[in-house]
Amino acid sequence: MALAAAPTATRRRKFSAAGRPWIPYLFVAPFVVLFLVFLAAPIGVAIGNSLLSQQSSGLGFGGRELTFVGIDNYIRAFQDSDFVVSFGRVLLYGVVQVPVMMIIAGLLALLFDSALVKAKKFFQFAVFLPYAVPGVIAALLWGFLYQPSVSPIIQAFTSLGIDVNLLAPGTVLWSIANIAVWSNTGINMIILFAALQTVPREMYEAARLDGAGEARIAWSIKIPMIAPAILLTTLSSVIGTLQLFNEPQVLKTITSNISSDFTPNMAIYAASTLGKDSQYSSAMAVILGVVTLIISVVILRITNRRSMGATDGI
Amino acid sequence: MKATRLTSRTARRVAAGALAGATAIALLAGCSASSGGATDSTAAGATTTVDFWGWVPGLEDLVAQYNEANPGVEVSFHRMTGDDGQKVEAAVDAGAGPDLVQLSTHDLPDYVISDRVQPITEYVGDIQDNNTESAWTSVTFGDDVYGVPQGIGPAGMMYRTDLFDKFGIAVPATWDEYLAAARAIHAADPNAYIANLSPSEIGQWMQEVQQAEGSWYGVDGDSWTVGVNDDASKLVAARWQTLLDEGLVTTEQMWTPEYWALVNSGKVATISYAAWFPSLLAENAADTSGLWRIAPLPTNAGSTNSGDSGGAAVVVLKGAADPAAAAKFAAWLNDSDETQDALITVGGLFPSTKNGLASEALMQPQPFYGDQVINEVFADAAENTPSTWVEGPNYGTAQTAVTDEFAKVVTGEQTFEQALDKAQAATIADLKSRGLSVAE
Repeated sequence: MALAAAPTATRRRKFSAAGRPWIPYLFVAPFVVLFLVFLAAPIGVAIGNSLLSQQSSGLGFGGRELTFVGIDNYIRAFQDSDFVVSFGRVLLYGVVQVPVMMIIAGLLALLFDSALVKAKKFFQFAVFLPYAVPGVIAALLWGFLYQPSVSPIIQAFTSLGIDVNLLAPGTVLWSIANIAVWSNTGINMIILFAALQTVPREMYEAARLDGAGEARIAWSIKIPMIAPAILLTTLSSVIGTLQLFNEPQVLKTITSNISSDFTPNMAIYAASTLGKDSQYSSAMAVILGVVTLIISVVILRITNRRSMGATDGI
Repeated sequence: MKATRLTSRTARRVAAGALAGATAIALLAGCSASSGGATDSTAAGATTTVDFWGWVPGLEDLVAQYNEANPGVEVSFHRMTGDDGQKVEAAVDAGAGPDLVQLSTHDLPDYVISDRVQPITEYVGDIQDNNTESAWTSVTFGDDVYGVPQGIGPAGMMYRTDLFDKFGIAVPATWDEYLAAARAIHAADPNAYIANLSPSEIGQWMQEVQQAEGSWYGVDGDSWTVGVNDDASKLVAARWQTLLDEGLVTTEQMWTPEYWALVNSGKVATISYAAWFPSLLAENAADTSGLWRIAPLPTNAGSTNSGDSGGAAVVVLKGAADPAAAAKFAAWLNDSDETQDALITVGGLFPSTKNGLASEALMQPQPFYGDQVINEVFADAAENTPSTWVEGPNYGTAQTAVTDEFAKVVTGEQTFEQALDKAQAATIADLKSRGLSVAE
């Protein structure tokens, strides 16, 4: 790689010597502009907004003005026990949903990569297909399957004498997790499967000569080789968990056991649209962003250390 | 090891490629959107345009009728669906809002305080006399009028004649009789219930609180008072707590397939709701046609009060280009003689206008209700609704707090009274965080 990089560098230097040093900037400009306009600026606005508050006085009919209140909105968010609980709820959800989904996606990817499966393309497509269904539609579909009077699944259970309520306070979180697993296993499987294709086939041959079976090859070669892809998919799944919104918001219309602040994102939505307090909800959004960042960094740190340890072992 | 590094680099390169592609698409979309806008705007002529958002059925025809009769004004109508109501505020703040919008009167104080509506007192003075006093009060703040009332929600009790006949139980006229009937029905058939209690359906709660002369808000000098857990609410709370504790009601969420299945199954004997509900019941429970009648909402001891779950108003938003034209259309739409029949029969509104209440269209027999003239019941209810309810500034927060807490009541985690106390505290805390003064 180092050898390949050298000539490029020389060529680039020639370009700048020709008096056009702005060319590279021109190429990155679209990205930088969109990044600034649609990511950096909104974050800046949200942070700025979160330090303000709309204040009126008396009955409020004398108009209102934006005042600087420092970190008051943040203090209020941390004191809001429902908002704090919503983080605990999605973390509990994530601790279960992400591993379950990753294990299923990983097993399927290994299965498709092995020689065991016939009609591989068809099954891969079948597993991937739910991902193509928009999240809201998926929640609506499953919503019908969760309601006793219209759900063939629950009716089947009932006819067997088993009473199930998939929308009860204790089960509704897992009913949401089920939708997320159904929707997202496919894309993770595809990413892991694609990563498996890049593993040099000679390594399997070498392992077989050393007497390793298929299971041993999967465990000792395939999984370590696709560790970066596993990390990538896990990380995006964890972020998706923290941003949980579509599924519970849709299911909320069929069960009152999902409160308006069931997940952090729902609490933010409720504060901004129902509570009409965009400053407070900005503070909540910044907190969610920071928590997501911290969790991502922690996961990256842990896994980096682990994969380095593994490398030392080899 | 090397292979690993290669993979991650490849992944990064792929990601960068995808992003570049997305950028190109976004740029293209941006171009086409702006060029499209430019061609559209050239079409506008010398006429005044009024953008109007509303949800009442049949408004399209009335708007067309107005446009034909008034060549100088072009009203364009947008039917509100889904969460359009929640988009209005952002649209107004961005300067891209409509000129006229239909609002729940519960939300109006928030709009007034946040300066998103315009006073239209000078344009609508002449229609005041055509509106009932309570409806006009609901759009008046201080000395200014902020909207034209459009329908109210007086309450009635829809009941299944077949169930009451079968069990030989008299239709309850008071809440005490209601509780007795609830026990008798459930005793006669363990699968039958007097009602369904939907914790998310705030209107059903509100009509009974209003009947008991309670109010979520009040004004004390220059301060708001909050009454989410006032005595009237606690009276209603005690009633439903008993019904819930004794297992005399179901607790399905309203408007779901589950709810309509329950209603259609004949397990629910009564539904108490506003004047706009009967047509929805007829639509969603067509097979039960002829089995339903409507009686007045049961009364509290020593009172003949009925209740109301709230009405709507058409308001002129901040930033409306021609507030006079907008207000003039709103007044015509809701108060002229020629629109009353359409609003009642097609729109399904229960009028708060005097010419609407006198309209023949209002007092028609309804085949679904065994040819009963159901609006006689609602007209009486409108007359017997106490004018104690006061609209307040953070209705959205209060409503969310109440419904979230009620959900925990039907699962048995807490009582109605505890739920009301929590919602009261949340509502007060929110008012204070806005700098409003609250008298406790």
